[in-house]
Amino acid sequence: MIETQNLGKAYGPGFYALRNLTLTIEKGEFVFLTGASGAGKTTLFKLLLLQERPTEGDVVVAGRNLARLAPRDVQAYRRTVGFVFQDFKLIPTKTVFDNVSFALRVLGVPVDQQRRRTYQVLKWVGLQHRLQSYPPELSGGEQQRVAIARALVNDPQLVLADEPTGNLDPELSIEIMKLFREINTAGTTVLVATHNPELIRFVGKRSIHLEHGRLDQGEGPL
Amino acid sequence: MSVFAYAFEEARASLVRGGRGALMSVGTIAIAFLALGGFLMVTTNLQRYVQQWMESAELSVFLRDDIGEQEREVVRARLADDAAVLRVDYLTKDAALERFRSDFPELADVSSSIGGNPFPASFEVRLRPGAGVADNAAALSRAVMPLDGVADVQFDRQWLERVLSLIAGVRMAGLAVTVVLLLGAAFTVTAVVRLSLHERRDELDIMQLVGAPMAFIRGPFVVEGLLLGGMGALLALLMLGAGVATLRTWLGREAAGLLGGQSIAFLGASDLLLLTTAGLAVGAVAGLVASRAAR
Repeated sequence: MIETQNLGKAYGPGFYALRNLTLTIEKGEFVFLTGASGAGKTTLFKLLLLQERPTEGDVVVAGRNLARLAPRDVQAYRRTVGFVFQDFKLIPTKTVFDNVSFALRVLGVPVDQQRRRTYQVLKWVGLQHRLQSYPPELSGGEQQRVAIARALVNDPQLVLADEPTGNLDPELSIEIMKLFREINTAGTTVLVATHNPELIRFVGKRSIHLEHGRLDQGEGPL
Repeated sequence: MSVFAYAFEEARASLVRGGRGALMSVGTIAIAFLALGGFLMVTTNLQRYVQQWMESAELSVFLRDDIGEQEREVVRARLADDAAVLRVDYLTKDAALERFRSDFPELADVSSSIGGNPFPASFEVRLRPGAGVADNAAALSRAVMPLDGVADVQFDRQWLERVLSLIAGVRMAGLAVTVVLLLGAAFTVTAVVRLSLHERRDELDIMQLVGAPMAFIRGPFVVEGLLLGGMGALLALLMLGAGVATLRTWLGREAAGLLGGQSIAFLGASDLLLLTTAGLAVGAVAGLVASRAAR
C-alpha cells in the first residue's frame, strides 16, 4: 500500500526532516510509526497527504507515485485517504453530523446517501445521540471519534492518524485504538503515529521507529 | 448538492458573518457604480436633448429686399429640391415684422419708431431629422449663399455639434474616473473576501485534506465576490433611481420647460443590464483573485 524509496525531505540545505527513508507497508496492514518529537513522523504524514512534496526519492501509495503526482490529481488522491489528527481538525461552527457529511458533500454525493452513510459511521463510533451537537460541546474523546467518523465516511483505502490520542487520557486512548483496530479488521490499511508504547503494546502490531528523520533499523513487530 | 448551491450557501453565510466588512465592500462598489451610472445618465440625457434640438434644425435663408420674383423662385426651387430638406416656408417682410411684434410685444414700439420694415423676407427651411443634419445644413448653406438675391444664410446649430463632442469628452472622463473607482472597489472586495478566506483557513485545510474539488474550495469565494459586486451595483441603481425621482419632483414643470417638454430620463434597460453585469463581473473577478490564496 505504501512504499518509499530513499525518501527525503529537506527544509533548506542540510536541514533534513526525513532522509533516505525506505520502507514498505502492505495493504491491510496496521502499522505504528514511532519516534521522538522531530523524528520526522509528521513530515512523513505530510508527504503521504501531499501537503508537502519530497525533495528526494519516491513515495508510492496504492500505485501512485506521490513525488510525481500532477497537481490536478492531488485532490482525487486525497479522497482515497482518511486522516485523523491530534487536534481533531473539526469545524467548530458545524454540527457533528455536518462535520462528517461535509466530506461527502464536497464530493458531490447525493444528499440521501450523505445522510445514510454519515449516520452509519457516527453510529459506528457511538455518537448517534450527538448528531446536532457542536464540537466545542463534546469531550476530547468524542471529538476524536467524530474525526475518525469523518476519516471513514468515504471508505478510504488508507487511514493516517497523527498522534490521535495525544490529547486524550489513557482510557479514552484505548477506546480510540479499538476503533482503529476495527477499521483495520475491515481491511483498511492503518498507519498511526504515536510515542505511547502502551498503545502499541495494546494493539500488538508492527511499529516503525524513526530517529532524526531516518529509519531506525530496529523496525519490527513488538 | 451541486457546487453552485454549495457555493451560494457558503457565500451567503460568509456575508452574514462578514457584517461590516461586507457592507463596506458593497458601499465602495455602490459609490463606483453611482459615479458610472451618474455619468451615463447625465451624458445620455444631454445627448438626447442636444440630438433633439439638432433634429429639429432649421435653416434661415434671408433675401435681399430687391430680389426679383424669378430669382426668389430659383432659390425656392434649389431649397425644395434638396434631399436634406423637409419643408420650405416663405416668410414675407410683413410676416417677419408681425412675428417680431408678437414674439416681443414689449419691443413692438421700437420697430414702429425705426420707421419702415427692417426685417428681410426669408425662406425658413426645415431639415430632415437624423444624424448628419449639421453637415447637410452646411452643404446647403454653401450651395444657396451664392445665388442671386440671397443676403445671408443662418444655421446656428454648429455649436450643438461642439456640445456633443463635449458630452463625449465628459463621458470619457466619467469612464476614466469610474475605472479608478472600480479598481478601488475591486481591491476592497478582494480584501473582504481574503479576510473571510483567512477566517475559514482551518475549514479550507480540512476541505483540501478530504479531497474536495477546487470548485468547492474556491467557488464560495468567487460567489461571495459576485454577490458583493451585484449588491453594490444594485444599491447604486436604486440610489440613482431615487435621485432621478426626487429631481423630477423637485424640478417639475420648470425642468420640463428647460428640457424641451421632457422629463429627466433614467437609464435604459441596456444600461441597467450593463451596470448590473459589470458589478457582478467586478465582484466575481475580485473574488476569483482572492480565492487563489485558497490552495
